Amino acid sequence: MILIKCPYCGERDQSEFANGGEAHVIRPKNPESLSDKDWGEYVFYRNNPKGIFYERWVHTHGCKKWFNAVRNTSTDQILKVYKVNEKRPDLSEFQNTLKSPSGEPSVGSGNFAVKK
Amino acid sequence: MSAIYNNCEYISKKQVKITFDGKTYQAYEGDTIASALLRNNIRLVGRSFKYHRPRGIYTCGIEEPNALVQIISEHNEPNTRATIKRVYDGMEITSQNRWPSLRYDFGAINNILSPIFSAGFYYKTFMGPKGFWKNLYEPLIRRSAGLGKPPKNFRSKSTHQYHNTDVVIIGAGLSGLAAAKKFINTKYKVLLIEQDSYLGGVLKNSNKVKTINGLTPQEWISETEELIFNSKNITILKNTLVTTYNFTNHLIALEDKFSGKKIDLNKSELTLHKIRTSNTIIANGHIERFISFRNNDLPGVMLASSFEKYIHRYGVVPEKEPVIFTNNSSTLSLLKKLISLGCKPKAYVDYRKKDNIETEVKKILKDKEITFFSDAEIEGCDGNKKVETITIRQGKSFNKLKSSMLCVSGGYNPDIHLFTQSKGLVKWDKNILSFKPDTPFQKTITLGSTSGNYSFKKLCDEINEKLSIFKTKKVSLDINLNVPNKFSIKELWETKKKSNSNWSKSFIDLHNDVTTKDLKQAITEGFDRIEHLKRYTTNSMGTDQGKISSINSLAIVSKMLKKEISEVGTTTYRPPYAPLSFAAIAGRSTYEFYDPERKTSIHSWHLKNNAVFEDVGQWKRPWYFKASENETMHQAVQRESKMLRENAGILDGSTLGKIEIKGRDALEFMNLMYTNAFSKMKPMTSRYAMMLGEDGMIKDDGIICKISDQHFIATTTSSGAPKVLADMEEYLQTEWPHLQVYLNSITEQFSTFNISGPKTREIMMRVFPDIDFSNDAFPFMTFKNFDYKETKIRIMRASFTGELGYEIYIPPKFGLDLWEEIFSCGKEFNLIPYGTETMHLLRAEKGYIVIGQETDGTVTPIDLNYNWMIGKNKKDFIGKRSLSRPDTSREDRKQLVGLSPINKKDTIEEGQHIVELNELPKKITNPIKYLGHVSSGYHSPNLNHSIGLAMIRGGKNLLGKKFFVTATGKTRNIPVEIVNPVFIDPENKRLTS
Repeated sequence: MILIKCPYCGERDQSEFANGGEAHVIRPKNPESLSDKDWGEYVFYRNNPKGIFYERWVHTHGCKKWFNAVRNTSTDQILKVYKVNEKRPDLSEFQNTLKSPSGEPSVGSGNFAVKK
Repeated sequence: MSAIYNNCEYISKKQVKITFDGKTYQAYEGDTIASALLRNNIRLVGRSFKYHRPRGIYTCGIEEPNALVQIISEHNEPNTRATIKRVYDGMEITSQNRWPSLRYDFGAINNILSPIFSAGFYYKTFMGPKGFWKNLYEPLIRRSAGLGKPPKNFRSKSTHQYHNTDVVIIGAGLSGLAAAKKFINTKYKVLLIEQDSYLGGVLKNSNKVKTINGLTPQEWISETEELIFNSKNITILKNTLVTTYNFTNHLIALEDKFSGKKIDLNKSELTLHKIRTSNTIIANGHIERFISFRNNDLPGVMLASSFEKYIHRYGVVPEKEPVIFTNNSSTLSLLKKLISLGCKPKAYVDYRKKDNIETEVKKILKDKEITFFSDAEIEGCDGNKKVETITIRQGKSFNKLKSSMLCVSGGYNPDIHLFTQSKGLVKWDKNILSFKPDTPFQKTITLGSTSGNYSFKKLCDEINEKLSIFKTKKVSLDINLNVPNKFSIKELWETKKKSNSNWSKSFIDLHNDVTTKDLKQAITEGFDRIEHLKRYTTNSMGTDQGKISSINSLAIVSKMLKKEISEVGTTTYRPPYAPLSFAAIAGRSTYEFYDPERKTSIHSWHLKNNAVFEDVGQWKRPWYFKASENETMHQAVQRESKMLRENAGILDGSTLGKIEIKGRDALEFMNLMYTNAFSKMKPMTSRYAMMLGEDGMIKDDGIICKISDQHFIATTTSSGAPKVLADMEEYLQTEWPHLQVYLNSITEQFSTFNISGPKTREIMMRVFPDIDFSNDAFPFMTFKNFDYKETKIRIMRASFTGELGYEIYIPPKFGLDLWEEIFSCGKEFNLIPYGTETMHLLRAEKGYIVIGQETDGTVTPIDLNYNWMIGKNKKDFIGKRSLSRPDTSREDRKQLVGLSPINKKDTIEEGQHIVELNELPKKITNPIKYLGHVSSGYHSPNLNHSIGLAMIRGGKNLLGKKFFVTATGKTRNIPVEIVNPVFIDPENKRLTS
């Protein structure tokens, strides 16, 4: 249960929010002009990285507003929240943040809870 | 051979009576079940999980693997740890996992058969034949292996409580209290959580500490507790166990509100504390571990520190002449305490070399003439359901001693469960032979023995240094000890057995009955990764999570693999720290509070008129109305359906979702959200419309009323309303923020009645004499607003039954009056109320679909032949592009058709398959060609035969073809003809006249 800072209401418990998947996937302006493959990519394909992820959240049991967040899926730390109409923060902003908990490698999983 | 009583300030003189397996025993207020049983010389308290071996009380706390009991007087609460549950007068307890009795347990045959129950036994044995697992093996295993029985007829009143604090201190022992002392009267909001009902921890469990700052330990605890209690910024929670340490310093703790008291069923017996904190201080100490030797599970084997705790904390000396077996320096205090009480241990067995053993130990043993074995170990012990003889190995010689108790100490593990739950990193410490916290992941501080610091003298500096991040004064602790400050230990995990018989067992996990031999076997079979090995052998997977044994198993495994323990690593400790009741997790969210029930304004009338209800989302909807006591559902639905097509019926449609869409760009928005084209639609008309997902599949349907280009009202399915509103909101906020549109849920602002049937117009004219209901003035799919008495109503001409129909919208306050008015007017036209089942039957006769019945998330409007609903000239709408994807425009997609049985007496069942075979083969060897499924099946009283709607591959081109439908319990299939799905009034004459 993590804390999430709604850009409109402030810090609230995770249970008040719903996750909306990858952010910055823009609905094509002219769907008819897209090839089947390109349209299929828009509808069905999303990224799922271990590490820094730009994603959407909605404050379902609150102001009902959608917003974007930058979360490290490995540490579950929310590094930044910003409104839908705000600029996507640059990846370099998060260079110095923790890569993973307990010294886990940034790719793959496994039991690395012991310091050698 | 018997326990003696010792004065103890934590136990009152007040006697209470408890029953254990039907027998009554005397205990004292303040006792736990375990201390009460030991006081009465009860050693055998349960049977083990797999082999049904006799088991006793092994520990004196939360780490207990064996002494699990069922509390009959508390709604049958199972798997209660006897070592922490406190007694009260009249408490009724039974042992678990035995039949017919604890002493003579039939399941103990598993122990004799044990050579075949080795690691991975279940995986290897119960493989086949097919069906045996479900019908034979699983029920058998569930009956013979297991724990207590579930509680019965119990409605918990447990509650949840939320906290936001600056600091949480877990554990109010010496370190926890000293840390809390630093925060007295500071600006920090502090929560001090103690699992026991008394503060003090190690100070009240042993006499290792002589004085603190010149005070006796008890004086120091009282003084400190009073200071903390009077400090407004610190809250103490006793009888509270922290079970979970989540991300962003979120803790969950369980408080037992009735510890040592009989539960009052009208009050909350458990409180689940949900705590959000800025900093967490873990000071919940250490857990003693055991040593594996032959029959190390016999009742009478107990951890040395637990034995010591029973003396100090509960005033019980379980045995006057125990044998003490240790590999470290911690048992000196136990030895001293026993001597001071006039008891004389039978023997003192120390695995360490004589030179490394404390001189004080050697002096006492010599002075009191106690048998002393150094550089020696316990080979094993024997006895019938209890320890009787103990075999000691010293070098090559064996000595047999008679004693009924064996106190074991294999060293101490810092209690790192919560620290690892918080994702902190641990590290192997060679001095204490255990893992200790290293790098925290969150704002977590560990203190005292939790951090691996076993030195009382260093505690003060540790606290001042680690808590220097807080703006507090330094704390001073001047500690004088009864024992040496230095901790010394010699590595020992398992002692050597004399013989290698299959029946001789040395256990590594007492809870799940895992032996050291199982570990060896699993490694031989290739399970050399600790996480795999754990799952294969079920080692440390019991409800105790191997608190006294998991490090031992890692050490034994690392030796077998010839690796360092730090290379083998630990398994993951997962929340909860100790089992917690589901009742506590559920809190007040049970029964009707779990999910709210929504009722319409007509609900009371439905009840009076014998409605049987159906749950639709959260709504209670009338399913059908019973005309008489004995009328079955089938009879009622057939009656309602026939009556409606002959006369008229009325349905409470108030549950239908209603969303108001308003704003400058409402028209553009609606054109994007729905498949239909709304631009040319005239104001005050309505239209059946569909909403798709971006993948082109149908999500919801409903009637859209257009009041103007800037104002629409959309109805949705009863259960789909919240999702439709949320989807609309999402698109408005994220994709089309430039559109000026406002959405409002108005579902509960209106009571809605659907009245339909050939006599409807006459009834409506009676109810609303001033309104012109003629076809010209009020055509199909139009609506109008009227004044009605002191309110306003909206009437729309629409129908879901295929008959002439109207929908009336009225504020719920006036709903019931109007409903009753309609009935009094409709009486002479034989107006009936009908429920959702009749609605479904009637719409199936008309070939109308139901979302979630004909559709399942893989159906497009084209599949339903609803091409007319698609606004092809619109540039865009949600899902439009997907309708021309190659897969979505395949000719052989499942498409909607009607089914009519060739033999009119046959019944078409919902969910059956459509095949080409008239009979199924007796033995099915090759897959049978499957054409589709029956999505709706009803007996139509108006056609007098069974009808079906079906989704069939390429169905559009199969009209008039014959196929077969499978039937429940029969190999002979039903011959059917593919027909137009509209069975009644295909020309829509009834709707539009």
